Amino acid sequence: MRGGNKRPSKKDNPRNMKDVVSLTSLREGEIGVVAHAVGGFGLVRRLAEMGLTPGVKVKVLRRGPFHGPFQIEVRGVALALGRGVASRVFVRPLRMESSG
Amino acid sequence: MAKRRLRIALAGNANVGKSVIFNQLTGLNQIVGNWPGKTVERAEGPLHFKGYKIRVIDLPGIYSLSAFSMEEIVSRDYIAVEKPDVIINVVDASALERNLYFTFQLLELEAPVIIDLNQVDFAAKKGIRIDAEKLSEALGVPIVPTVAITGSGMNEMLSMVIAVISGEKKLKPLKVRYGKEIEKRVETLEKLVSSKLPQLCMVYPARWVAVKLLERDVDVAGKVKNYEKGKEVLDRAEKLAAELEKIHGEPSPVVIASERYALANEIAKEVTIVEAPPRIGLEQKLDAMTTHKILGYPILIMVVASMFVLIFIGGNFVSAGLEFLFENLLLYVEGVLSSFLPEIAVELINKGVLAGVVAGITIALPYIVPFYIILALLEDSGYLPRAAFLMDNLMHKIGLHGKAFIPLMLGYGCNVPACIGCRIMETERERFLAGFVVVLIPCAARTVIILGLVGRFIGLHAALALYAFDLVLVFILGRIAFKVLPGEPVGLIMEMPPYKKPSIRNILMKTWSRTKDFIYIALPIIVFGGVTIEALALSGFMDYIIEVASPLINGWLGLPAVTGIPLIFGILRKELALVLLGNVLLQQGMVLQDLTAIQMIVFSLVTMIYIPCIATIATCAREFRWRKALAIAVIDIALALFLGGLAYRLLSLVT
Ligand SMILES: Nc1nc2c(ncn2[C@@H]2O[C@H](COP(=O)(O)OP(=O)(O)OP(=O)(O)O)[C@@H](O)[C@H]2O)c(=O)[nH]1
Ligand SMILES: [Mg+2]
Repeated sequence: MRGGNKRPSKKDNPRNMKDVVSLTSLREGEIGVVAHAVGGFGLVRRLAEMGLTPGVKVKVLRRGPFHGPFQIEVRGVALALGRGVASRVFVRPLRMESSG
Repeated sequence: MAKRRLRIALAGNANVGKSVIFNQLTGLNQIVGNWPGKTVERAEGPLHFKGYKIRVIDLPGIYSLSAFSMEEIVSRDYIAVEKPDVIINVVDASALERNLYFTFQLLELEAPVIIDLNQVDFAAKKGIRIDAEKLSEALGVPIVPTVAITGSGMNEMLSMVIAVISGEKKLKPLKVRYGKEIEKRVETLEKLVSSKLPQLCMVYPARWVAVKLLERDVDVAGKVKNYEKGKEVLDRAEKLAAELEKIHGEPSPVVIASERYALANEIAKEVTIVEAPPRIGLEQKLDAMTTHKILGYPILIMVVASMFVLIFIGGNFVSAGLEFLFENLLLYVEGVLSSFLPEIAVELINKGVLAGVVAGITIALPYIVPFYIILALLEDSGYLPRAAFLMDNLMHKIGLHGKAFIPLMLGYGCNVPACIGCRIMETERERFLAGFVVVLIPCAARTVIILGLVGRFIGLHAALALYAFDLVLVFILGRIAFKVLPGEPVGLIMEMPPYKKPSIRNILMKTWSRTKDFIYIALPIIVFGGVTIEALALSGFMDYIIEVASPLINGWLGLPAVTGIPLIFGILRKELALVLLGNVLLQQGMVLQDLTAIQMIVFSLVTMIYIPCIATIATCAREFRWRKALAIAVIDIALALFLGGLAYRLLSLVT
């Protein structure tokens, strides 16, 4: 799971789907549906094992300070994801709970 | 007659309560706390039940049986290769879906599984109840609801184990089936595996090997490669996995994980009954506050600082009281002894043995016990993962991620478990980096010196300044080590368990077991040190040592030359340094208070940094090999002497 802190570039979103954004662009309280994750084989597999599989809903609970980690809820469990890791998860936002 | 000797293993996700159950069953003291990844090595303990001699095995918590981390391989090999008679899959009732993902993998491995549905009390707090019967029907294995922290359900679970062993209760485990495209390929590969690799199939089920190969599991692929016909199987697996990836547009492990999760979601939904609105408002508020982007940091600083302040106030109070008591006692004993023993023997017993024991009790224990209680509270509440979350960014600067902050905090208690705890880091490089900084954290023994010398005779502010300086040093050295051992830091992926009310029983048990270690291990060493120093003094050897050590200790560090002796003994146990400092000063007709403030600070600074004690070095050697352990020791000694001399000169300038 070489996640690192580097931010993925545009071409890391291979499908280039318009409505798909990085998890890091969601605000606190917003929900997204996972489309896919990009990154090394180990990282992508680990995320899937922790429940971040395509189609699952994730809610951003907390955006960490100073470009920090994210706290999300997935399958009833809270997870902390480093910023680098979170930026590699791509979601379709559900803009219903944007009040946060 | 059925077998009377059994092995049962506890397996499941991290932080579900396996070790609490293990402790309940065996009466042992595995570490327990509210953060994921405490148990890193398998532990075993005995249990007698209904005439059975049972060995209980506590495994590290894992999320999957893939070859992701050391723990996962440890657990997987134990389950698959050593084949325990029964596996108790501990499942967190409040997070069923995620837990079932792992359960399915146990079922795929065709292991004899019983499910311990734990934390039903906490699930109830979240307003949910799990229909155990329905779940048992769906999975085809027995399910026993438990609340491990109170011990409720433990007997029922053991009875179920016996029922399964004796054949009274039959397992009809669910066969995990995948979607059509996957299933077709699994079956093809399964046939190939069972015909080409019959030996491997004696250890692992063919279907499981097939699934793992489709998931591109490197560890399993490595095992297959060892066989003559392995190459053929691997080529075929590679082709089938590629086909799957083409159909689904995802890496094959993601495709397969998705399917397992879909099934987990379906079953979890069916058996979960929402009974009431959740009653975890307070926990959520606490969570929001302690991970808040601004508030979180002052809270973190306050938590750590108040830990020391509380220990200091409590420790001083008790220490002073005990000292008064024992002083009079000592005088009395001396009087009694000298009535029938020669003077030299009285001296040896009194100054060597008794003074050491008394010093251990009056100087060390008053600080150590409250410290252990507070640390246990922190560990059990669930604060540590929050602190890890807050510190993720900063830890990245020293080549680590937030999780490394947990062993760092544990280091304040004792460096030995903290060093082992570095295994929660994912790569070897990170484990070493984390270990390198962990040994610089002043453990409880060093706290005895800092608070008992600097805090007591100079003031709390000076002691806190030393702690703060230590953290700065950790950061600078960590940064240097990161530059020397470059590599891209791994990203943080960590479960954040909910806050829980600490269980008093856990806290007391933990505090007692740590205190017991102090009494059984440290006190004898202290006595040994005391007698040795007394013998050195009586034989005249002391003067020789003083003369040799003088240039370094007195010339460079500005300390009385005799302090070289406690510094050497401090390698055995750090608190020994303070106890023996009292002893050697006494030899010179001085007391601790006769040291100047600068000398106290320099002494504490040096003991805080130089060579972690012998137990820590041995642990480092076990974790990182001797060469690296020695490197750590040498660096720390050099650094301590350098900084000690520097501090002496700088502080002399300003005062
Ligand atoms: N409310 C409640 N808390 C529990 C129960 N069982 C365990 N806990 C708490 O859950 C936390 C984790 O327990 P452990 O036994 O250390 O968990 P583990 O599964 O061994 O965890 P790892 O070793 O990290 O994999 C502790 O804080 C326990 O006090 C339970 O039945 N109810
Ligand atoms: Mg454990």
